[in-house]
This record gives sequence, structure tokens and C-alpha cells, in this order.
Amino acid sequence: MLVMTLERVPPSLRGELTRWLIEVQTGVYVGTVSATVRDLLWDKVVQHARGGRCTQLYRSNSEQGFAVRMHGEGRRTLVDLEGYQLVAVKDARYETLKGNFAPPEELETL
Amino acid sequence: MTDLMTHQSQAPIVWKKQNLRELPKFRDGTSYLYLEHSTLEQDGRSIQAFHPEGMITIPCASLGVLLLGPGTSVSHSAMKALSDTGCSVLWVGEQGVRMYASGVGESRKSERLMRQARLWAHPRSRERIVRQMYTMRFPEGLPDHLTLQQIRGREGARVRDLYARYSQAHGVKWQERKYNRGNWDEASPINKAISSGTACLYGLAHAAILSCGYSPALGFVHTGKQLSFVYDVADLYKMEVVMPVAFQEAARGGQDIDRRVRLALRDHIKQLRLLERMANDLLTLLDDRHEIDPGDDDVGELWDPEGNVQGGVNHAGDDA
Repeated sequence: MLVMTLERVPPSLRGELTRWLIEVQTGVYVGTVSATVRDLLWDKVVQHARGGRCTQLYRSNSEQGFAVRMHGEGRRTLVDLEGYQLVAVKDARYETLKGNFAPPEELETL
Repeated sequence: MTDLMTHQSQAPIVWKKQNLRELPKFRDGTSYLYLEHSTLEQDGRSIQAFHPEGMITIPCASLGVLLLGPGTSVSHSAMKALSDTGCSVLWVGEQGVRMYASGVGESRKSERLMRQARLWAHPRSRERIVRQMYTMRFPEGLPDHLTLQQIRGREGARVRDLYARYSQAHGVKWQERKYNRGNWDEASPINKAISSGTACLYGLAHAAILSCGYSPALGFVHTGKQLSFVYDVADLYKMEVVMPVAFQEAARGGQDIDRRVRLALRDHIKQLRLLERMANDLLTLLDDRHEIDPGDDDVGELWDPEGNVQGGVNHAGDDA
């Protein structure tokens, strides 16, 4: 099972994906393809995204049962916590807490 | 259009008490998550943790145990959400040695706890379970006629032998199991690796026990501690689960051995289907029916030597 999402990418790329997957909602594509095809589709999407955003989710043999990759996402980053993939968002709360955990600034040397 | 308008004017959702059927069974969930130097709080309905990369939303309902390392703090509402969803929380020190644990399981019935207490309280049934637990550690089985003293002797020899074999297989020198709670850095890399892996395993055993609705205090082999049963359960798997990973990582050398052990342990746990095995073994050991109805809102019964009677009703009847 493969799920891909596309945002703000060229229309022809969206059309291209529908040759392999079905578009269940605008920008959301679902299908079943082999690992090779999945990787090739990802390469294609990344190559032609032109500043748009895309994500890919697919079944994996990990404990979570799936893996995620993202491209062009500004707000969200993937974080790997000892083999557990989670998503981190830089929101307002993050900005306030950031100060508490920032490493002490290094002293400037003359 | 009118549909949209009515949606917008609706009052905020009132969230009911956690429906236990919604929670994945312990064996179907993810094993553990380790956090340090972060703040855990509730935002809307989500549980978020601070991370240098941004705020991380934690899928706590499917998580077995959350290990909190140094520099973490948890808000009251986050803690409530964690316990509602049956996620165990463990505060672990830099030593990777457990300090504190909490949480409630995904069962609101006390049937299993009562069965555990009955089996625990009678010397004969208790000894049967102790023997069964020891037998589980020996793939070839144990002869019936051995005394407990002899079994403990065999267990000691088994552990010593396994340490020697892992040590040889991975080329890691093994002297003794030694750690100083006061000084983490003093321990040898292999001892650090074992401590860190064992902390995870204790957490999982604890979560499995709570999740099934048993008490961590009523241990069969171990006795006299609030976590006796946790040690019992963890010991069933310790040599098989933690040691290969610990020795493998110690053999590789280098920094961050505790983190690397946790990382490698996740794959190993998944491969062994440990969560599933733990839950099944627990139920088998304590002769359970392996199935319990989690969604239950009844108020419980009142004990009577003649047989329990309905609770939550006025028994005064017409006499009042």
C-alpha cells in the first residue's frame, strides 16, 4: 500500500501520478506498487515538484508498520526517535519553550 | 450552505470518558518511546513534547511505555491523558535505572487481580507458578523432582553460561554485572548497555502487567517489592532479549551506547514479537481465559459469602 500527497506541484506531475495511483481526494494518491516502482515514483515527484510539497507513506517491516518521507515541507520535519518516526512542528509553543532547552551560547573568544 | 453554517455554530465537542475498546491491545501497539530534555503537555486533545526540531505529537494511545529521561517535565493534563489511554510512564535516570512508574491499565475490572492474588496467596499454587516461570527459561525443560533450591542453582549456571557465550560470540570481555547508581560513567560499556536495555524491558513488563489488569507488586519468584512481579516477568526474557543487543552494541564500541541499545532493541523486540508474547505468557501463567470485555460501565458488585450481590442499589428496601 502506497499513499502520496502533493501540494502546489505542476499539474502534469499530478496527472503523471494517476497513471499508477488513484486520486481519492485532491492531492491524495493511493495504490499498491512494488518497492522499486515506489522509489522511482518518489524520485520523479521530488525531481519535478518545483517548490511544491510532497509526502510518501508506505508499508514497512518496522514496529510502526509504515515509513514516511517528506519533501519541501517547511513547517513539519520528520524526527527519528530511536527507530520511531514522528513529526515535529515548529509552532508558537515551540518558540516559547525553545529558550529553556537551548544549549548555553559559547563564549566568544578574542 | 446551511449545513456549513450549522456546523460552525455548534458548541465545542464534549469528550466522554475514554472508551477502552478504542485502545489497541498491548500486543498490537508500539513498544516504547524515550524522551529527554523536553516538556510534555496537552494541546487541544493532542499530547505534545518539545524537541529541538519542533513540537512532536505523541501517539500515546498505541504506545506501551513512555520512558522519561533527565530534564523532562509533564503537565497534569498530559499525565491524565497518558493514564486514560493506558500508556505507562517511567521516569528513568541517566543510569537507565528505573526510578518511578505510574499509569493504569486498559482494564477497569479487578477479576484478574483477584485471580493473581488467589494464586499468589496459596503456597501450592504459588510454587506451581514459580516452577512454571523457571521452566519457561529452559528450552529443554526442567525435571519435576528438583527442589526450588536446585532450580535456583541451575538458573544461576544458565545465566553464567549465557554471559560467557555472548561474551565469546561478540568478543566482549565479561567480568561481572556491576553498576553504580551514583556514578553512571564508572560502569563498563557492556554494563551500561545492559542497564539501558534492562530499563526498557522493565518498562515493557510493567506496561504489560498493568495493561492486562494485574498488580506489579504480587510477585511469585521475587517478593517484598512494589515491582516484584515486574522483575518476575522481565527475568523470563532478559537473557534472550537484552543480552544479544547489549553485547552486540558493546562490541561496536563508540559513544552513546545507551541510545544505540534502545535503537537496536526496537527491531529485536519487533522480531521476537515480544509484546504479543508477554501478554500471552502472562495470561497463560495465571490461567486466564485470554479474553476480557473491555467496555464495561457497570458499578461492580458487593461481596457476600453466599455469592456476590448487585452494587449501586439501595439494599435497605422497605425497612428504611
